[in-house]
Amino acid sequence: MTARRLLRAVTGLATGVGAVLTASIAAAAPQPGSGYGLPIDVSAHGHRIDWLMGFTNVLTGILFLLMAGWILYAAIGHNEKRHVAAHDHGNSRRSMFLVLGTAGSIFFVVDGTLFFNSTVDLQQVFHNFEKVEKDPTTIRVEINAHQWAWDTRIAGPDKTFNTKDDIVTLNDLRIPVDTPVIFEVASTDVLHAFNLPNFRAKVDAVPGQVNRMWIQGKTVGEYEIGCAQHCGTNHYKMKALITVLSKEDYARWAAEASKNSEKLFDENDSDAHWGWAWKGN
Amino acid sequence: MEQHIHPEPKAFIWKYVFTVDHKIIARQFLWTGLMFLALGGTLAMMIRWQWAYPKTAVPVVGQLFLSQTGGAITPPTYTSIFTMHGLIMIFWAITPILIGAFGNFCIPLMIGARDMAFPKLNMYSYWTFFVSSILVILSFTSQLGAASAGWTTYPPLSSNVGAPGWGQTYMALAIFVTGVSSIMGGINYIVTVIRYRAPGMTWFRLPLTIWGLWLTAILNVLFVPVLGSAALLLALDRLAGTHFFVAGAAVGIQGGDPILFQHLFWIFGHPEVYILILPVWGIVGDILSFFSRKPAFWYKGSVFAMIAVTVLSAVVYGHHMYQTGMAPLLGLGFEMLTLAISVPAVVLFVNWLNTIWKGSLRLQVPMLFALGMVFVFGAGGLTGLLLGTISTDIYLHDTMYVVGHFHLTMAAASFLGSFAALYFWFPKMYGKETDETLGKVHFWGSVIFITLVFGGQLVAGYSGQHRRLFEPYQYTYLKHLAPLNRWTSFAAFALGITQLVFVFNFIKSLLMGKKAAQNPWGVPTLEWTQCSSPPAYHNFDVVPTVVRGPHEFADPEVKKKLGRDYLDQVEPGLDAVSESSADEMPEPQAIGAE
Repeated sequence: MTARRLLRAVTGLATGVGAVLTASIAAAAPQPGSGYGLPIDVSAHGHRIDWLMGFTNVLTGILFLLMAGWILYAAIGHNEKRHVAAHDHGNSRRSMFLVLGTAGSIFFVVDGTLFFNSTVDLQQVFHNFEKVEKDPTTIRVEINAHQWAWDTRIAGPDKTFNTKDDIVTLNDLRIPVDTPVIFEVASTDVLHAFNLPNFRAKVDAVPGQVNRMWIQGKTVGEYEIGCAQHCGTNHYKMKALITVLSKEDYARWAAEASKNSEKLFDENDSDAHWGWAWKGN
Repeated sequence: MEQHIHPEPKAFIWKYVFTVDHKIIARQFLWTGLMFLALGGTLAMMIRWQWAYPKTAVPVVGQLFLSQTGGAITPPTYTSIFTMHGLIMIFWAITPILIGAFGNFCIPLMIGARDMAFPKLNMYSYWTFFVSSILVILSFTSQLGAASAGWTTYPPLSSNVGAPGWGQTYMALAIFVTGVSSIMGGINYIVTVIRYRAPGMTWFRLPLTIWGLWLTAILNVLFVPVLGSAALLLALDRLAGTHFFVAGAAVGIQGGDPILFQHLFWIFGHPEVYILILPVWGIVGDILSFFSRKPAFWYKGSVFAMIAVTVLSAVVYGHHMYQTGMAPLLGLGFEMLTLAISVPAVVLFVNWLNTIWKGSLRLQVPMLFALGMVFVFGAGGLTGLLLGTISTDIYLHDTMYVVGHFHLTMAAASFLGSFAALYFWFPKMYGKETDETLGKVHFWGSVIFITLVFGGQLVAGYSGQHRRLFEPYQYTYLKHLAPLNRWTSFAAFALGITQLVFVFNFIKSLLMGKKAAQNPWGVPTLEWTQCSSPPAYHNFDVVPTVVRGPHEFADPEVKKKLGRDYLDQVEPGLDAVSESSADEMPEPQAIGAE
């Protein structure tokens, strides 16, 4: 076998492996967005936020059109060429009631809807950690943000964080479908924001403080995690994948990953032991 | 209280450089502000270039300033660009133009004073501001790059941990120094309005412009010191090794609190957005009435609405921090107060709409800009609702939607408002008329492209694009937004080019503009009816006695007796005007009136 043939074989092999890798990455890659508007919602509760935004947009859209139409009509119809100004200071009781009435109605309808729905949604869902903590199936994840990557940690079978059976990954978060997941989020250097646009979820990662949020995926697939808070030069590259697996796939993966962690555990690698005792319940 | 008439200085240095004349100081602020507006605008164009054509050489500007990379923007340069864009626009462009220039120019003239209460303090205010401007320029010359932690300057990124080098330090100091200047100006404005109103100029006869500027001055004096303290503590963290704001691994276990900075920053920062918009609200409130030839609708309602917003602005700042892990109950309180602001805001807005309704609108350049401001402010205000609400803010926080919203309310509205003011007072300031046609071109270009640029940002943000991304298309779910961003950039470039029309108009009018009449717009306020264009050094030979409010338009009796549609703030009432004297008061020629 000549050197040239060897080279060709190696190149061919490399190309083949490369193609397979590329194809598998492409197949697993997050779905690209399309059209303008909200990205696809894959969470069990994101529709509450989407509905409230959509409803408000309809109301504010009407107000916007009214305003634009009003200005346009006045500019043309009440132009000095066509209209003599009315001698009106607008301080009659009727005028004042009209203005205050308009302000009051807009406040009660638009702001009222927002406040009511937001408060209900937060208490029932987004801030309702008690309910999620009681659920025996809930997955708990620690997120450690640092320039410019996301460390994730899920407690192994011992259910204790920062032990050798923890599943620790970098920029690769996996969660089971239809299962609540609580995150405790911290940062080791500067501020970051743990942003899951497809789950309508976001919380700041603050050094010296642990913040929490929870989500529940409803659609199997891969989605993107981004950093939403400016964190330096490579802020734009601080992204990770979140994979929603079927419950069976998740269980299989978690068991194997935990075993691997135990095998690879290095007592002296203090950098790898960044976890903390779970703060919540 | 009547001020003495001082002789006008003759030497150039005392007349134009270290002057105590509020009208010249106003021009100094105006020129400095316009220079920084051009600089901040150029930086904005560079950001837009990066989003339209990532990593490719920036034409012209890139060749001049980024020669090391062949003109392309690198990630670290990019962070500096958007940081400096934000800081420059807020503190060195809008603030000096609106508050420095028009605050200085309008307050004494419109209330009937011969100068500010403390003319020397006024001079120190400008020159302190000048020192801060030099610090800004120095920041660009820093070897490790200009400030790069975002305009909000959040630590720990803004500490030595995240942004080493002198660039960020210079900016922390520049913010502190410009704050000192703002406080000096603020105290001066507050005292002048309280103490030096002309006889008969009661609080409810003040033009709305003065109300806006006066309330702004109060916010400045109350809240800029908080920013100053935050900037100083940050400078200590950077220079003296203190740990006020640094926490986590950077300092071991016993650290400071980065969230403390956010509290200090936003206690100032939210009033700041009203500091930038209140003068515009006042100016636009007056201009809409002046050019509708109709009294301002429910003047007192507008005044109380502005006061209400001023008070509320101090207690809503927490809505910038919903995602920082704030206690839910505290967030709820901030949310309620934030939404409550919409009541006075709508009162003010409906008053504007009612002012132009059934008026006799003269669509001259200042009026066009004022209407444009109402339009963009309306759009911006409506988009703010989703950001003030906690649950919807979870998704929208830190996205381009926020960027679009605050640019519409704070940038576009104060930009158009500033130009309304500039076109309106230019004849009084310089004694020259501006070109009406060029002004209209400038208006239409500005309002159309400004709407497209910030509308495009709203759409991008709603589609999930988060802020301050060097290259948003790193994210698969944002890839399809590339064409949208590119079109938005085209609108931004067009907006930039439109401003050249203004530059040309401004210079042309200064050099060879037609001499302006004393009251070319035919409006009732003191600076137009009692002062020549430009006013004398001491403004008023005789301090006038005011007898009525600033918006006395459209009285049919006046029209019948005087042959014009307004009564100025000083002239005697109708009963005292005899038929014969009416002939001696012809209607002033309006600029560009067809």
